[in-house]
Parts: sequence; C-alpha cells; structure tokens
Amino acid sequence: MTAVQWTGGKEHWTRKGDIRLFLWQKPASAKVAPAGTILFVHGSSMASQPTFDLHVPGRPHSSVMDWFAERGFDTWCMDNEGYGRSDKHRPINFDISNGADDLAAGSEYILKTTGTQQLLVYGISSGALKAALFAERHPERVAKLALDAFVWTGEGSPTLAERKKKLPEFLARNSRPIDRAFVHSIFNRDHPGCADEATKDAFADAILTLDKAMPTGTYVDMCSRLPLVDPARVTAATLVMRGEFDGIASLDDLLNFFKRLPSTSKQFSIMQGISHASFQQKNYLMVYHILHSFFTQPEPSYRG
Amino acid sequence: MIWSEDYFVNREDVRLYVYRKRASAPQAGEATKPVLVLVHGSTVSGRNTYDLQVPGSTDYSVMDYFAARGYDVWTVDHEGYGRSSWSGRGNSDVKTGARDLAAVIPFVLQKTGATQINLFGSSSGALRACLYTAANPGTVARLGLSALVYTGAGSPTLEQRRKKLPEYSASPRRKVDLAFYEGMFNRDKPGSSDDAVPKAIAAAELPLVSEVPTGTYVDMCANLPLATPESIPCPTLVIRGEFDGIAAEPDLLDFFTRLPSKNKQFVVLSGIAHNPMMGVVRNKFHYALDTFLHAPL
Repeated sequence: MTAVQWTGGKEHWTRKGDIRLFLWQKPASAKVAPAGTILFVHGSSMASQPTFDLHVPGRPHSSVMDWFAERGFDTWCMDNEGYGRSDKHRPINFDISNGADDLAAGSEYILKTTGTQQLLVYGISSGALKAALFAERHPERVAKLALDAFVWTGEGSPTLAERKKKLPEFLARNSRPIDRAFVHSIFNRDHPGCADEATKDAFADAILTLDKAMPTGTYVDMCSRLPLVDPARVTAATLVMRGEFDGIASLDDLLNFFKRLPSTSKQFSIMQGISHASFQQKNYLMVYHILHSFFTQPEPSYRG
Repeated sequence: MIWSEDYFVNREDVRLYVYRKRASAPQAGEATKPVLVLVHGSTVSGRNTYDLQVPGSTDYSVMDYFAARGYDVWTVDHEGYGRSSWSGRGNSDVKTGARDLAAVIPFVLQKTGATQINLFGSSSGALRACLYTAANPGTVARLGLSALVYTGAGSPTLEQRRKKLPEYSASPRRKVDLAFYEGMFNRDKPGSSDDAVPKAIAAAELPLVSEVPTGTYVDMCANLPLATPESIPCPTLVIRGEFDGIAAEPDLLDFFTRLPSKNKQFVVLSGIAHNPMMGVVRNKFHYALDTFLHAPL
C-alpha cells in the first residue's frame, strides 16, 4: 500500500469538549474574486481528505477542494470524531447525531477563523445526513446545503436492504474493519464501471493511510433509525444530488424529501453515469459543475 | 452589437416568422455555434417574448444574453402570432405549434450546419417543445422547460382559466390588450415583475395583433396531459418559479420522475412567477438555463 501525504493546505484543530477534531483547509486562489466558504462533509467509510483532496496521477482536477479553491472558494473539510486524524478514543460508535455535533464545533471554528457569516455545506452519503441535521440545528450558519447520495426514510433502498443483514454485527461493535477490497466494493455494488481502477486504488490508499477500521454508528443509523432529518426544518436553499445508479435511496424517497423542503430555492439533479461516490467517479467534472452552479446561483433581489 | 436576421418559413400555406440573433454575422467556413431555439407561450409572440426591449433596461432579451455567450439563437412566431400568418383554420393549438417547430427546425439546422439544437420553451411553449422533442428526438440535444404544466392537477391559474373555457372553445381567437398583459404579470405575485414589462409588450405586440389564437388555452384547460415525459429521451431541465400558479409542484415532480433521461434537473427559483425571463430576478433564470446548457455530459 502506498502511504499518502497531503500537501498544499493548512491543518487546523478545534475541540468539541475534550475531543480534538481535525480540519483541513485549501484556501481560495488569490487570483480570482472570493466566492464563498465551503465545508465538505465525508461519509461512513472514509475520512475527509481521501474524499475531498484526492490526487490521482493523470486525473486532472481530481481534488474537488483544489477545483473549487481555484474558482475563489475557501474550502474546508473535517474528520468527524472516530475518523482520520480526529480523536477516536471514546467507546461509542460515532453516529450521525454525533457527527452533526462535530460540524457544529467545526463550523464555529471556521466562522471565527475566517470571519465569514455563513457556509456553503456539501455532504455525501451519511455526510449528507450529518450536514442536513447540522443545518436543522444551526440554520443561521448555512447559506446553501448540497446533499449528495442522500437517503431520507430508507424505503426502497437496495443498499440498505443488504446492509441491514449485518445490523446485528454493527450493533455488537463500535467499529468495523475495512480493507482495499471493501473500498472497491463501494464502487462495484451498484454499477461497476462508474469509476476507473486507478482512482479506486488511489482512494483506497488514501483511506487506508488514515484508518484501518471505521465506526459503526452511521451504518446503524441508516439501517435502523431513519428518518433522522426533518425536511420541514431544513430552511436553507438546498440541492439534492442523485447518482443515476445510486442504491442508497430510492428516487421516490428522495423526491418525497424534496417536496417537503420549505425553501423556495431548491434543486433536484439526477447525475448520469454516477453511482454512490460521485467525486471519485468518471463523471466527476459533471458533478463539480452541478455543485458549482448551485453554489454560484445569484441570490434573488426580489423575494415576494 | 448583436447581429440579427429574420426569415419566413412555410408550413403548408402558413408563413412562419423566424428570428435569429448571434454575436456576429455567420462567416463562411466558421465552426458551428451551439444552437438555441426558444419557444413562446400562449399570448406573446416569439420575438417579443425573447427579444423584449424594455425602456430603461438592457437585459430583458434572452436572445441577446445567449447570443453574447456564443449561441446561435432562434425563435419563431407560431401560427396566428406576431408576424406569422394565420391560415384561418383551427386555433393554433399545442399540436399545431409542435408542427410549426417541425417545419422551422430543419431550416435552422440547414442554416446553421448544426445536427442538433438546444430547445427551450416556456408555458404552452414548454408543451410545444415537449411534443416536438418526443416526435423528433434525434434533433434535440437538451431540453429546457419553464412554467410547464403536466396534468394540471392543483393548478390555480388553470382553475381560473377554465371558467372561460366555453368562450375560448367558441372562437379561434381572443382579444389582447394592455390590461390583459398586465393581468398576466399580476395574477400570481404582483411585484415579481416591473410595471414597465407589460407596457413594453403592449408597445411591441399591439402594432402586430389585437387577437391571438385560443388553441393553447383550450388545450391547457381541457386536454391535459399533452406531453408524454416517457417519450423525451434527452437531458432535461424543469424550471419552476416559486410563485407560478400554472402548475402545482407535485404535478411537475410527477412529470420529472417519468422522464427517462438519467441527466435531468428540477430547479425551483425563488422570487419568480410565471414568466421567468421577464421577472425582477430574471438573472436567476438566465443563470439556471445557461448552466444547464453548458454542463458537461
């Protein structure tokens, strides 16, 4: 396995009580006008840098943080408790609610450090659930919310139907071991071919550099405790991003969530050729475009 | 300065007015520009919808916006509208409008050298665009729809309009005047457009027409659903204005769900009513359509 090192950004640390949380910043390019501050939120089986600052030889703009930083965004991600460089010592399973608490601590630090008033928040998979729960709890901190590979009630989800078979195992332990084959299975379970082998390998190297096991909390939540988010309480402008082949949620489940969002500025995008981990797939530049378009959409001067 | 040219294309004995704008005049041997065809709604003709000149403002023209961004932009006045002729037969309904497009788009392809177009329609223009795309899927690369209605379930505007259905059914034409144009902009959310807009429409339209066809009104009151989303294979954008009363959001999401394309977007735009290109926050509409049209596939 190739150990991965991350460069070109700035490490930050904050605290949630006694817990140390790691944040990673790739600042906005000074060559373009400032466009906002993004907080990227990772999913169940990988820390933040492997997901959002992944470098793959021969894959242009592979790091989504770099791509947005080049366009004027101050980009941040953070490892939730139990993941990557953040503390992992508590004997708990680091569930979605705990992750939303991490985002509260991390966002407080980012707002204080940068002086910005609100964040553009992107979450993927259980990171989308954490991000939405955080937006419910702290609407004043979220300017726009993007939910990729999201699931609401879980009804009709093929991935969760499979995952539930292992629920007793996940309930019995606070962590689950992962390996290279597991990382590949993320890409192969829905629709093999959406990602190239070099990217899967680089992603696995990056994930395994930081973690050999992952918390079970978000898996338990997604298998047995949905819905965790009340769309009626998510007030920010919201984008729901759905991969064509993503098995984590049924389309009806997501549309039912979308209908209940009270925002009059909302968007639902189906992404062709994408399964579950959009930034690591062949159509990643299309995903960047959809997210960038949403984050840069003009604010209305008239609101009725 | 944006370059423009106008043409007439015949569909049977109907002379259809076609209007084109580009950043510069076509040059022999140049690369083909992306083509955008804009389809108007039930009341205002194509040129006066998409190239509207409002005194004191410079950014109402959708044609200028996209021409400046490298598109070869076209619109057509449907039968009985604007500068096009009326056959005296029928009421220029949605299906007739789709036939107008089927006559004009081959001309557009021939003039531009393109093999496919981007097609955008608003209100009943969205319905015409859907019907055209379903019948001619090979010619449409991307389809943009705003102020669409699918089945009409839950539509406050159509509920009101149905009260006049006997009148619309009895005649192929209906009167238009400044008061009617003002009603279009005030029925959903007064203040979501500038008062100068209906006046500018009246100044542009009323020298051309005092009546417009009733067919699309009859269709939207009595013949929905007309579009079959299952027959639209291309990447599709559905734009819904926050205040638009022409359709209920669940009706549009039902349409969206049925679209077979795996590349589709549903966008709700705050601050916008039925005519997104003529609202106070028309910049949001420009942005949403623009980003959809140039998204990587």
